[in-house]
Formats: sequence, C-alpha cells, structure tokens
Amino acid sequence: MRVLLRRLVFYVLTAWAAISLNFVLPRIMPGDPVTNMVERFRGRLTPQAIQALRVLFGQEHSNLWLQYVDYWKNLFHGNFGISYAYYPTPVTSVVNGAIWWTLILISLCTILAFVIGVSLGTVVGWKRGTWLDALVPVTSFISSIPYFWFAIIMALVFSIVLKWFPLSGGYDVWETIGFNSSFISSAVYHAILPAVTIIVASIGGWLIGMRNMTVTTLSEDYVRMAEAKGLRKRRVVLAYAARNAVLPSLSSFAMSLGFVVGGSIVTEIVFNYPGIGSILFRAAQSQDYPLMQAIFLVITVMVLVANFVADIAYVFLDPRTRQEA
Amino acid sequence: MSAAAIVDTDPVSQPTASVGLSNRFAWLQGLKSPKTLVGLIILAFFVLLAIFGPIFAPYDPSSVSWETLQPPSAAHWLGTTQAGQDVFSQMLYGARISIIVGFCAALLATVVSVVVGLVAGYLGGLTDDLLSLLANVFLVLPSLPLAVILVSLLPKSGSAGIILIIAITGWAWGSRVLRAQTMSLRRRDFVEAARATGERTAKIILHDIMPNEMAIIASSFLGTVTGAILTQASLSFLGLTSVSEWSWGTILYWAQVNSALLMGAWWWFIPAGLAIALLGTSMSLINFGIDEFINPRLRQANAGTKAQAKARRAEAKARKLGAVGLPTRDKVLPPEDHPDSSVVLDVRDLVFGYGVGDDATVAVNHVSFQVRRGEVLGIAGESGSGKSTLANAIARLYRPAATTISGQLLYTNAAGATTDVLTMSDEELRRFRWDELSVVFQSAMNALNPVLTIGTQIDDVLRAHRADMTKAERETKIRELLGLVGIQSDRVRAYPHELSGGMRQRAMIAIGLALDPEIIIMDEPTTALDVVIQRQIIEQLIRLKDELGFTIIFITHDLSLLMELSDTIAIMYAGRLVECSPTRQFYQHPVHPYSQGLLRSFPTLSGAKRELTGIPGSPPDLRHLPPGCPFAPRCDQATERCQEHKPDLRQVMVDNTTIQVACHSLEIPTQPKEDAHVQQH
Ligand code: SF4
Repeated sequence: MRVLLRRLVFYVLTAWAAISLNFVLPRIMPGDPVTNMVERFRGRLTPQAIQALRVLFGQEHSNLWLQYVDYWKNLFHGNFGISYAYYPTPVTSVVNGAIWWTLILISLCTILAFVIGVSLGTVVGWKRGTWLDALVPVTSFISSIPYFWFAIIMALVFSIVLKWFPLSGGYDVWETIGFNSSFISSAVYHAILPAVTIIVASIGGWLIGMRNMTVTTLSEDYVRMAEAKGLRKRRVVLAYAARNAVLPSLSSFAMSLGFVVGGSIVTEIVFNYPGIGSILFRAAQSQDYPLMQAIFLVITVMVLVANFVADIAYVFLDPRTRQEA
Repeated sequence: MSAAAIVDTDPVSQPTASVGLSNRFAWLQGLKSPKTLVGLIILAFFVLLAIFGPIFAPYDPSSVSWETLQPPSAAHWLGTTQAGQDVFSQMLYGARISIIVGFCAALLATVVSVVVGLVAGYLGGLTDDLLSLLANVFLVLPSLPLAVILVSLLPKSGSAGIILIIAITGWAWGSRVLRAQTMSLRRRDFVEAARATGERTAKIILHDIMPNEMAIIASSFLGTVTGAILTQASLSFLGLTSVSEWSWGTILYWAQVNSALLMGAWWWFIPAGLAIALLGTSMSLINFGIDEFINPRLRQANAGTKAQAKARRAEAKARKLGAVGLPTRDKVLPPEDHPDSSVVLDVRDLVFGYGVGDDATVAVNHVSFQVRRGEVLGIAGESGSGKSTLANAIARLYRPAATTISGQLLYTNAAGATTDVLTMSDEELRRFRWDELSVVFQSAMNALNPVLTIGTQIDDVLRAHRADMTKAERETKIRELLGLVGIQSDRVRAYPHELSGGMRQRAMIAIGLALDPEIIIMDEPTTALDVVIQRQIIEQLIRLKDELGFTIIFITHDLSLLMELSDTIAIMYAGRLVECSPTRQFYQHPVHPYSQGLLRSFPTLSGAKRELTGIPGSPPDLRHLPPGCPFAPRCDQATERCQEHKPDLRQVMVDNTTIQVACHSLEIPTQPKEDAHVQQH
C-alpha cells in the first residue's frame, strides 16, 4: 500500500508543520503574548507558570533552536501550560474534558451527513429532470446558512417555542458522567438538536457534489454499457454510477471536513455544548493563548486522522490507486 | 489507419469544454440561465445595499436609546436591541463590512490561488512539488481554528487583518483546481505552439493559459466569497473581530452575548443570518450557470431530460386517451407482415433526434434496413453522420438527451417470434438486452467500469440474466469466455487499467459474448488500436462469428475494414442511409455520388494506384439541413431538383442486383447509372 504510506508521511509532515507554526507564530507576531498574560494575571502567576509560558511562547533571550527543542519536549509530556480562562486548571485537563464530546458529536454527524448526503445526491442525480431537481437550489440555500445561525433558529423553534429539546448543555447536571444508561440517554437527548443542526447544515455540500458527479458519471460509457448489459437498475446505480461518482467526494473530503469542523465548533457555542467549541469561545474571550493553541493542535490531529480514514476508503474503492508503480 | 478512412472531422459536436481562444468569454453565456439571473439580481441588491445602505440608515447603529428590545415597528423596521439600538440600521452598516471583507478576502485568496495554481501546473517539477505540498498542507489544516489562532495574535488589526487571515486560510482549494486545469491545458496544441515559437513563459501563462481558465477562476472566486463571508461571520460571532465595527457577524455576536434567544428577540438575530444565507445562495446560483458551462454534461443532462420528461408525459397522456400517435405499435406482428424469418432485425423508418430549440438535431432520419441472421452488416459514415447514434438507438441506449424517436425496430428471435424493441417495457427491454443483443463499445477504456474487475463485469451479466447458474458455473463460464478471446484465465481478477489496449478490447468482446446473443453491435471496436492488434482482433472476431453464428452490425468510418469484413455495406450521410448494397457490388459499382467519392479515395486491391482525391467540402450541420439532398453542396452530379427535393431511399436494380440508394440521379430504377447521367442533360 504505497499510496497510503505516502499519505501517512504527508500527514505526519502536516502535523509537524502545524506544530511548528504554533511555535513560530507567537514569536514573529507583533506583541508578546506572555507579557500580555503576565500583566493581565498580575500577581496570580507563579514563577514556574511564567517559565512554562516562556517555553511555549518565546523567551526573549534564548537560542531559537534550544527553544524549539524545549517546546517539543513539553508537547511530548503533554504540557501545554495553564489555561487562563479556566485558571488554574492545566490546558491538558480542560481539553481532555471537552474533546470527547466534540469527537463523538462531530464524527457521528460527519459520517451520517456524508452517508445521507451522498445517497440523496445519487438519487437526485439519477432522477435528474424530475421534481427532485428542485432540491438543488434549496440545498444550496441551506448550505449557505451559517451553522451557528441555523443553530439559533433550531434552538428557537425546538427548545423555546416547542420545548421538545433542552436548550443548552450536554447532559442533565444531576447525572454523573460515566457509562450508565441514565447518563447516556440524557447525553443523547441533549445531543439531538446540535447533531441535527450539523447534519442538516453539512448535508447540502455532499448532496450537490454527489448529484453533479452522478449526472456526469451517468453519461460515461461504462454506465451506458451497464444498462446495455441489462443489469438491474440497482446494480447499475450502485456499482457502476455511484461507486465511481463518490470518488471525487472522498478526495475533496479534506476541504469539506474543514467546513464541518469549523461549523460544528460554532454550533456548540450556541447550544452551550460542553465540547471544544465552547472552550474555544471562552479562550477567545479571555485571550487564553495556551488553550487556543492546544485546541488548534488537537483539532488538526483529529482532522488529519479523519482524512487518513477517507484516504483508506478511497484506496479501497478505487483499484487504480492500488497499482504498485 | 488505412487510406480509406473517412475524414474524421466533426463540426457538430465539438466538446464545449475545450475553450478555444476565440470563445474565451463564452462562459459568460452561462449567465443567461434563469438560476444565474436570480443569483445576479440578489447579488446586485446586496452590493447596492453595501454602497448606499449607510446613507439611508435611519439611525446611528451604535447609538443607544430607551426603546430597548422593541419588536419591529414603523419607527424601527427590524426592532431594537437590548441597548435600544436600531437593528435595521445595524444591518445596513453591517452589509458594507461583511461584503467588503468577503469580496476583498476572496479576491486576495483567488489571486494567490491563481498564481500558485498556474505556476505549479505550468512549470511542474520541483516547483510544482513544493507548491502543491504547501497547498495540500493548507487544505487539510482546519481553517477556522487556524484563523482563530491568527486573529488572536493580531488583536488590533481590524478588517484588514481579517481579510488577510481569511485569504491565508482560504486559497488552497482554488489553487488545486487551477493547477489540475493548467496541467491539462499545458499539453494542448496552442500552448505547445506558443512554446515552440519561444514565447516567454510569463507571456504564455498570461496570454494563452489564464484566459482559458477564466470560468474556473470566476467559479472559485464566487465560492470563496461565500466561504469568506461565513468565516468573517464566525470570527465576529466568536467576538474576535472588533465588536464595535458593525458587520452581520457582530450583530449576531451581541445577540448571543445578550441572550437574545432567551428573551425571544427573534428580530435581532434572524435578519443577519438570512442576509448571509441569501448572499451565499446568490453565489451558488451564479455558479450553477458557470458550472454548467465548465461541465457540458450537466447542461445537456438538464436540457435533455426536461424535454424527455415532457415527451414522456405527453405519451403517457396519449396512451391514457387510447390514441398513441406513433405508427403500428403492436407488440407481436402477424406472421404475414413478416414473411422472411431469416431477417433478424428489421429497422423501419427509424427517426431519432435530440436537443431542443436551436440545437434540435435529427441524427437518424427515416432509416430503414434489414439484417439477416448470421450476416455482417457494415455501416460506414463520417463522424456526425449519425452512425453511432443509430447504434445507440438500436440498443435503445439513448438516455439522457433523446427527444424524438419513432419508427419500428422489429427483432425476430431464433424461435421466430417478432417484437418491436421500441415498444418494450423496461423489464422486457432489460431481458432483451445482452441476451439477444449486445454492444461492443468504441473505447474499451471508457466502457469498462474502472473500479470492477473484468471477471466481475462478466459475472454481473450472468447474475442478471442467468439466475439459475451457481457461483462455480459462472466462474467456469467466465474463464471459458476469456479463453475464447485469447485472454489468460488468470486475468479474471484484473482491473481494466491493468490490461493493455488490445486486451481491454478483447475483454469487451468476451463480455459481449457472455450470453451468446443473436446480434452484436460493434461501434468502432478497433479504432483506438494499432494496426497489428486491430488485425488480430478482427480475425478472431470472424472466427468466433463462424463458430457461434451471431449477427454483427459493424459501425466504422474505416471503409477498407468493412470491405473485408461485411456482407452488406450501408453508407450513412447526414443521418440518412444513402446506399445499401452487397459488399462486392458496392466495391465494383458504387451508385451514390457520395459512395463513389469515398471509393475514389480508396486504393484498389490490384495495386494500380488511383489518385486519392477525397471529397471536397464538409458534412452538413445536422441542426440546419438543406431542404433538398443533404449531399447536394458537395455533389458533382447535383441538379436543380436536388436542391429542392430530398431523394428517398429506394430499391433499384444495378447489374442484376437489388440495391437501395437515395439519389435523384437514378430516376429509372432498372437502368444502369450511365443512363442516369444522360438524363440530367
Ligand atoms: S440527389 Fe442529387 S445531390 Fe444528392 S447525391 Fe444524388 S445527384 Fe447528388
């Protein structure tokens, strides 16, 4: 699997680039984030905390290479410094408390949106020229809606007016977090509205892309030949048309995922969902640079892993990439 | 390719995607579609709002008042905020920032992606590797979190900083698309030519390549505008832009911070989101027009299917009324109507057209012919003569754009039962296909599904038509079929791309033989192959035909191939059959002036060199056929009558052989051609 190995190397390289970017940015940007923070938390920071900050965001009088080595050492020890928005909790714990909420929510929503969007797109593409075509402008309207605004509308309709779902939070506060049924059902109940928001808002992109690719694929000779072969419609659509049409969707997965992740983060804020988005909001409000940096890295790693999964699916679906050349 | 190959030029259906230099702005045509027009109107509205809005704003958007949280009223069209600010005025001011940021950021991002995409795609090599790597890294980095980091490091930079940051996080996708396009343009003739004349690289990129990518650049720009406006709104919503500078995102930020939702102040947050969504929709509507230009298949699909759906509805209605406007639609003909059971396919007055309005084309125009069991019928014609369309029509493979079809396609199976293929229901047609009639397509590369193995593609046929076969039986059959066409049976698990061109074409023939059909239609099956392989495959085909006894309808522009292969030759011109004779007769005594012209450019088998003159002129545009004989403009025997009246295909006796020909020069059927000449004087 040479292709996958190459992709893996690329993702490692990208991760390295992202981390190094994180190292470089605060050092080249005008202003010194450490001094800013020390000033804002006047007197409340211990000397060790300030030292840790300096390692992460730049010491004025130190060799840049040594700083870089120190920086990596810190990362490997999971030491991202102390969060100021949640002072004095370490960044690692803050992120750790939020990441699972986001990870589960986004991955489920992405998979569902992809599957639903691609299936609907196939159907709309296959039945082009019928009333289903009306779905296309509708979906492009939906996919132009900012996620967070759509979230507000959903909250307005389903929580405030209809009172079907809770307005905010990730679970009922009296539940103990853990693997027990009442917690899980409460978490699922709270997740429905954010999930529906993310799925509906992100379906459009997959749907339109898949619809256009299906239409394009349908005039390919191999689809015409499949029809000429007298295969059943199901087989023609699935194995001949859709199977080829889905490939571009998978290869543009990276870009689409970026949108979905960005959108989900702001959606969480609206619903006060206890995930990464909400802590990013707090971090941004209080200029908590260590926390923002950690969030950026964590999301980047998540996105890279998701992309790699998409690559594996691509290689699985397209034998041409498996050619050893 | 042999000398007798008919000139393969195609004036009718040049692929629209190849943007020549002359029509580099043709994509603006796409703007005419109604969707695009609506998009442009919405966009114009918002642009005007951004320019003049603040002048008309009734209040200062930041000035507070005692009228807090008022719902919409005459004084405050969109109500007020918690601080008593006028939402309508905020919206008007916000339009300006949102649109300026969106457009400037998109402009900057597009410039970067054009530069990177063109340079990487054109120069290739290490430059390409590095730039592509950079683009790919930016593509997978999640853009919103990256933007958040950058904004928080540039706290006081205002809108200019936001524009810069959005551009940095948003250029990668466009550059990837443009790079791919540049790489394919780079290999095109006019670019090669410019390079050969030693033009400077920068000039080639600017003058020859970029103008041809304007449609893609425009489409990527519009997409980026939507993305930029959304990102700006998200950043504002996170409170990362200056919260006192009014943009639509800022309005939403204040609404969120002040819990507008909980207070039921819907007027506070609904307008801003709606405006963003509408603006984004207008961009995608405009992009629909451009996309359909870039990808002509989308356009064809849209145009064709609408007309088709209309035709279907009309037909269904007619059926309901009990009056189908088409000629005899009896499914099974009485035997006396069809006395000759050796005729396996009887095509009667087949008409087949596609396209609507100005593009309406009758590609197959009242074509009739018969094919006998076990015979090879060769159909020859230039590209655009309708010969491939005829092949598709016989297999009823005319989706998506067919608009008119009439006539009869009478098929008689081995048992002697006759059915009209055109009236078959979907399920009847599905059973008929491949079992009775199979098709070998022009290019095996395109006709084989790239993601399934050869074995699976044969297996699909067996499973669809031979439900009683076990897996093992199918496996044996597949190996046997591959053996028939000379493919080693261990290639069962090979994918099309793993086979050579010749092998792929053999595999196609193997698939075509899978169910032992009565008729195989071959549409230029060997055109793409080199002469040696072509010969091998043709010889094998003749052997298989003699062994298995199927009928072949062989379609090609290569007359010399037909001379060897076929029993009967039919010549097509401008969608009509102009001559149909036994091959020997045709070779010795072509009757139609067009056939004569074709054979004049054909080297004699005896070796005596004839001059290869070819036929001056080019085939007519099928959309605008002349009223008389379509060949008249190129015919050296044309008379006045030919200009006005279409000659019908009629039976005539030439050299004691019955042939069919459509030409006025043969007024008296029984007389040989020389006399016909005399008559013209
Ligand atoms: S009908 Fe007239 S114009 Fe047409 S081929 Fe015959 S002679 Fe020529």
